[in-house]
This record gives sequence, C-alpha cells and structure tokens, in this order.
Amino acid sequence: MAEAPRRPKSPYRALKARRLARPMRVLRRTGSYLYFLEKRWFFIALAVGAGMLSMPVPEGLTQAGMIILAMSVVATILFVTEPVPLPTVALLIIIGQVMLMGIDSKTVAQSLMSDSVLFIMGSLMLAVAVVKQKLDARIAWLLVRMTGTKTVWIAFGISLASGLLASFVGEHTVAAMMLPVGLTLIHLTSDDPKKVRNLAAVLLFSISYGCSVAGIGTPSGGARNAIMIGYWKEFFYDPTSPDTFKYLVDYVKWMAYAYPMFLLQIPFVTLILLTTFRPEYKDLSRAVVKLRAQVEAQGAMKPGDWVAILIFFLVLLGWIFWSANYGMGTIAILGAAAFLVAGLVKWSDVNSGVNWGVVLLYAAAISLGVQMKDTGAAAWVAQNFLDVLVPFGMDTGVGLWAAVSLLTTGVTNTMSNGAAVAVLGPIVLKLAVVAEESPIILGFVTSVSSAFAYLTVVGTPACTIVYASGYLKTTDFLKVGWKMVIMSTIIMLVVASVYWPLLSP
Amino acid sequence: MTESEDAEVRDTETPDHNRFRILVCIDGSDESYRGLRYAAKIAHGHDDVDIVLCYVRPTDHGLRSGGLQMDVARGNILQWGLELPGIKYLKKGRDLLRELGDLGKDWDQAAFHSDVQGTNLGDNKIVYTAESGKQVVLKLKVADDVATGILDQWELGHYDLIIIGAPARWTKKGLGGFFDPEVAETIAVHAPCSVLVARDLEIGSGHLMCTDGTEASIEAVKKDAWIASHCQCPISLISVAQDVESEDDAKQAVADARKVLLDMGVSVEETFVKVGSPVEEIIEEGANFSMITMAESNKSGIKRFLVGSVAMKVIQNAHNSVMIVR
Repeated sequence: MAEAPRRPKSPYRALKARRLARPMRVLRRTGSYLYFLEKRWFFIALAVGAGMLSMPVPEGLTQAGMIILAMSVVATILFVTEPVPLPTVALLIIIGQVMLMGIDSKTVAQSLMSDSVLFIMGSLMLAVAVVKQKLDARIAWLLVRMTGTKTVWIAFGISLASGLLASFVGEHTVAAMMLPVGLTLIHLTSDDPKKVRNLAAVLLFSISYGCSVAGIGTPSGGARNAIMIGYWKEFFYDPTSPDTFKYLVDYVKWMAYAYPMFLLQIPFVTLILLTTFRPEYKDLSRAVVKLRAQVEAQGAMKPGDWVAILIFFLVLLGWIFWSANYGMGTIAILGAAAFLVAGLVKWSDVNSGVNWGVVLLYAAAISLGVQMKDTGAAAWVAQNFLDVLVPFGMDTGVGLWAAVSLLTTGVTNTMSNGAAVAVLGPIVLKLAVVAEESPIILGFVTSVSSAFAYLTVVGTPACTIVYASGYLKTTDFLKVGWKMVIMSTIIMLVVASVYWPLLSP
Repeated sequence: MTESEDAEVRDTETPDHNRFRILVCIDGSDESYRGLRYAAKIAHGHDDVDIVLCYVRPTDHGLRSGGLQMDVARGNILQWGLELPGIKYLKKGRDLLRELGDLGKDWDQAAFHSDVQGTNLGDNKIVYTAESGKQVVLKLKVADDVATGILDQWELGHYDLIIIGAPARWTKKGLGGFFDPEVAETIAVHAPCSVLVARDLEIGSGHLMCTDGTEASIEAVKKDAWIASHCQCPISLISVAQDVESEDDAKQAVADARKVLLDMGVSVEETFVKVGSPVEEIIEEGANFSMITMAESNKSGIKRFLVGSVAMKVIQNAHNSVMIVR
C-alpha cells in the first residue's frame, strides 16, 4: 500500500498496514468452510437419506416404499432446517420420483397438478387482490365503532373481526390487512415502545391468534385444509362405490365440522391474552379518536371498493354452492380472473405478491404423499406408530386422537402448517384405517391441530407477519403459546368426541 | 452484482486505510444501543473514526407467511404512514449519536439505494459526512440471515471493529450451538476483524487484556491499547497459568505485554497472574472491568470444534462484554 500520507500518523496505521493482507487470507480460507456451515443440514439430510436406502428393507415394506420413505424423511429435514430455498425441495422431490423410483416423467408431471393445488394457487391470488383493495381502513372504522374504547373490547373485537375474515380469505391475508390497524392503535397510544409493550402484545397477538384459530374454519382458511381434502379424495374415494362418497368433503361440509370450533375458541383467546400480558392502558379513547379522524379523512367508499366486495362475496357463494360440481380450485381461479378483468388488481402485483414457490412446493408434497399411499409406506409407518401407542392404551378413540394431535402440534411448530399436513396426512389417514377409526375425524384432528403452531414465529403465517412489526419478542410466543396450545387441544378433543360423531355416520 | 452495488464497493473502499471504521449491529435491543454509546466514545473527538450502524433484515421465506409475500404486508404498513422496525431502530441510533454530540446537524447527507433480488425494499443507506471527513452511516440491509448479512457488510466496508449485542440468554451451547449457533457467536468466529460482544456494557471501568505471551496475544494487546487510548479507558493485564510450574511463563507474558504498552506510551493500571482454569479465572477477574479483551484462538477447523477455544468459552460465559481482537 503505497499511499501518500495525508493524515497525521496514528499508531494504529502501522499495525493496519501489516495486517491488510490477513483478512483476505482468512476469508479465502473460511470461504468454503462458510458454505458448508450454511448448507450443513442439506448434507446431513442427504446422508440420512443415503443411509436409509442402503439399509436392508424392513419386513412389510417394499423397496419402492423404502425409497419414498427415505425421500419423505429427507424432505422433512429440509422443511424444518431450510438450508436451501424451499422450492428446491419440491424440485428434488420431482427428480427423486423419476430417477430413484423410476416412475415415468409424464406420470410425475401429471400428479403435480390437482384441484387442491389450483385452489391453493387461486386463493393466494385472491389474497393479494383483497389486500390491495385497502379495505383495512374501512374494517378499522367499523371495528372501533362497534367495540368502543375499552382495551378489553378492542382486543376481543380485533380477534373476532380477524377471525371472521380469516376463516374465509385466509389467515395471511387478514394478518397483512389488520397489522397496520393494530400498529396504528399502539402508535397513537404512545410513541415509546417500552410504555406499550404489553398493550402491543395483546393487540398484535389478538390479530395473529384470531387469524390462526380461524384458519381452520373453512377450506379457504389455509392451504392445509385443501391438502387434507385432496388426500381424502385420493385415498378413499372410488367413483364406483357409493359408500365412499362421504369422503368427498366440500366447502359446506368442512364448515359444519370446523366452524363451531373456531367460534368456541375466540373468547378464550382474548381471555388468555389479557391475563398473560396485562395491558398498560385500560382505555384507548385517545388513540381511537385519532384513528377515526385518520380513517374518515379517506372519504366514502368508492365504487371500486363495492365491486371488490361483491366479487369476493360471489366467490364465497361459488365455493358454498358450486364447488361440488366445478371444484373449489376452479372457483378460486375464477375469482382471481374476475379481479383482474375488473381492473381491481394489477397482474404485476399478483405476480410479486404470491410466492409461486409455495404452490410448487405443495404440489410436490401432495404428489409425494400420494406415493406414500401407493407404495404402502404410509400404511407401514402407521402400523408401527400404532404399535408404539398400544402400551399406552392410546390406540383407539380419544387416546389416539390426542396422540395424533400431539404429533401434529409438535411437527407443525417446526415447519409451516401446510407442509406438516402434507407430510403427516398420508400416515394419519392410514392410521385411521389400521386402527379402524373414522378417517374423516382423524383427518380433521390433524388439519385442526396443525393450526396449533402458537409457540414459534414461523409456526403460522399470521404469527410471522405480526412478528415483522418489531414489537414482539420470540419469547413472547412461548410465554403465551403454551396456554393457547392447551386450550385449543382441549376444545378440539371435546368437539371431536361430542360433536363430530353426530355429523359422520 | 448490480451496478449500484459495485458503486457501493468503490464508495466505501476509496477512503484511505488510515481510518478506523466501527460497524455497530443494531437490532433495537438496549444492548445494541449500549454498544453504540461505546462506539461513540471511541469516536468522540477523533476525526479518523467512522461509525456505521447496520440493521439486517432477513429475507422472507414464502412458506412461513403461507405463500403471501411479506412485502404485501410491509407495503400495507407503509401506506398507513407507519415506519418499519429497521428504520425505526436506526433512527433511534442516529438520535442517540446526535444527543451525544457525535453527529452534527450540519453534516452532509447522502442516500444510497441498491436493489436486492426478491424484495422491493433492497439495501438502503444514509451517509452523514462532517467537514473533517468523519462519517456516520445508517445502513438497512437485506440478507438470507442476520449473521450472513453482517459478514457480507464487512466485505463491503472492511471494518476494523464489529460491535454486536450478546443474546439475552446464551441458550444454545455445545452440540445445539453447532447446529444452530447464535448470531453473535457466528460473527465472533467468522468475522475477519475484531469483534466486541456487548453485554451490560458500561463505559469507564477499563479493559482487562488477556495475554499468554504468544506473538498473537502481543499483537492483540497493541491493537486494543489503541482502542482503549481512544476512549481513555484504563488498561489492566492478566495471564493465567494452567499449573504452578508454568506460573513463571505467565509472569513473563504479563511483563512482556506491559513493556510493549509502555513503549507505546500507554500506562498499565494493574496486572494479574493467576493459576487455574483460564476460562474461569478470566471470567471471575473480568467481572470488575468494562470488558475482557483477548486474542483469537490459534486453533482452527476440527480442533476448534473438538477442544473449543478459550475465547469462545469466555464469550459465552462471561458476565460482561468480551472483545476478540484480530
């Protein structure tokens, strides 16, 4: 470094000149090391997969079943640890099915698209269209008009409003819409985040848990519901046998099972939040008055707003009345098309707002799940899982439901709930067959329990979105989450043993 | 590499290497602002010290948000006129520097932006430059994860010191730490420059420098003496012998270091020579000081993984701040 000395010499300078070469050397040395450190789980997963494939095939399992099982284990490790971008896992699953299983590439390609996947894709496009309508201000206005200014009622109102909306349009949509409302209320109450820590926790968790408990309400509440509906059809439906028609679950049938459960949970959400975080302010009059002024400044509803509401209402009616004929996926993409035709959302917004990798991922995961069934791997795992449960007396009835619910809750807290249902679904449905339980009830137990991801930030979309506000700590999720898990599990078991048997003969 | 990113590399590297650049990682915690106060103290009254405040926002994982991009939610927040957390934290840091008098109102201000794939916010920075050439930079960065982001930032700016807050509880030790290390630990291990892990950092109780007589530790003592003299912090020396036989070596190490410091014109307040487990003795004595400073362990790769370095153990278990000097 032959630089002209422009500054008075500092003692540090001499030291520095000598060590300039060093960082580069260190960097070169650690460069490849860093790569392996970052991707270590990818290599661990591959090693586990290779280990499983080189083991002798256990009794009762075919060679193909073993390959699929190894692929599922590798995919699960990758889902949880995310060393590579998740859509990569989808690509690897497709490659594995063709190259390891020897399935014809045309068959694999066809197995990727189904009504469930179309439905997931259409719902995501609808979600972006709905968020872009800026209806959040209207919702906020309605909300504070109804709830008044008491913190308790505002928290309850937020949970209920978030929940009612989320049950139809999906939890991520509503979390994205309600988050600014909650943040504005907090911000208008006090500028200093320390003074409103508990209030912020109550209001933000009201949004995220309100959305989470509602996500089970209807098939459009979350991708996992559509995945389970797809599995029921794939596993049990046989067009030639009228007995199996009960496994075709449509929009209304799903709501009959799950909607009451969502409504039951809402009051408990508010109760748990208010007792865990005692808000600093019992009354938010100041914030509410300012919020009203802010919202009223936006003026009256525009014609475009009404058209948007009308289109969404029609989509909802379509799901309820025509999904049996045309498929829920068709209705969803019809709605997305209608928003685009009406000019209410730009394609560029839809294109950048939907994470297309997720659609690909669910497509591949469902395809893998169906392979689990076809090769007998799902049945084999189910039988072994049941054998483990027998000594605890949990192999039938409520005990089995509790075990499945526990397993699902554990898995869903480590990965996205859609992926959890995609991975566990085939095993649980086969478990129901082996244990001679109703696959419908056990399927509901799984998809409902997958919403119990209250413990971590990554558990449910609503939690992730709310966490982005910066007001919450990761430990807050643990602090209140375990109470939510217990509450939801108890309510689900009661509903499953009292109410669901009334619905399914 | 986008064009603007190249521009940024040029922009940060052209200043001559006489400057001492400090990267303060801001995450909104009290710990990170205490670290910033310390950086301000080093920079105070010295025109050749720059402070860079950096907030790293991890990129979004679509699956976690259920397939709806987080950008949609963020755009919605911005539309309500609310600020995103990173900007809020950086502004708080800037206001703190203003309060301390280390950032004047009349400084030149310039904003830079570079796009990052997959997010509509990208990297943003605001550079404040004083007439003397002294800079304060606010940087909002997007990266795969926080640790990678900070290490990337180092490559752009080649900082001399990184200050990062210690996690509230150092929960992941041993094997768990290997599989999923804390950000502060990753930075301490991989950053090619000195790293200060701030924990209840209060200024003024002095530095406790650890030395074992090796060339690396003497180098570290020299570098730290430079930093300590900038913030007028008193310096003490410690050396720990593993058993009684090697006590003389330890005494010699302290004497050597003391001589080096005196040659530099830096006075030494106290010296300690202890016998016992280095980690325990250093942590115990270090509790009376603002921070413990030590050289990077010379173990590497598999050996570091198996044996674990003294420096890492001190970082994890100390009651106060620890600086690894490189």
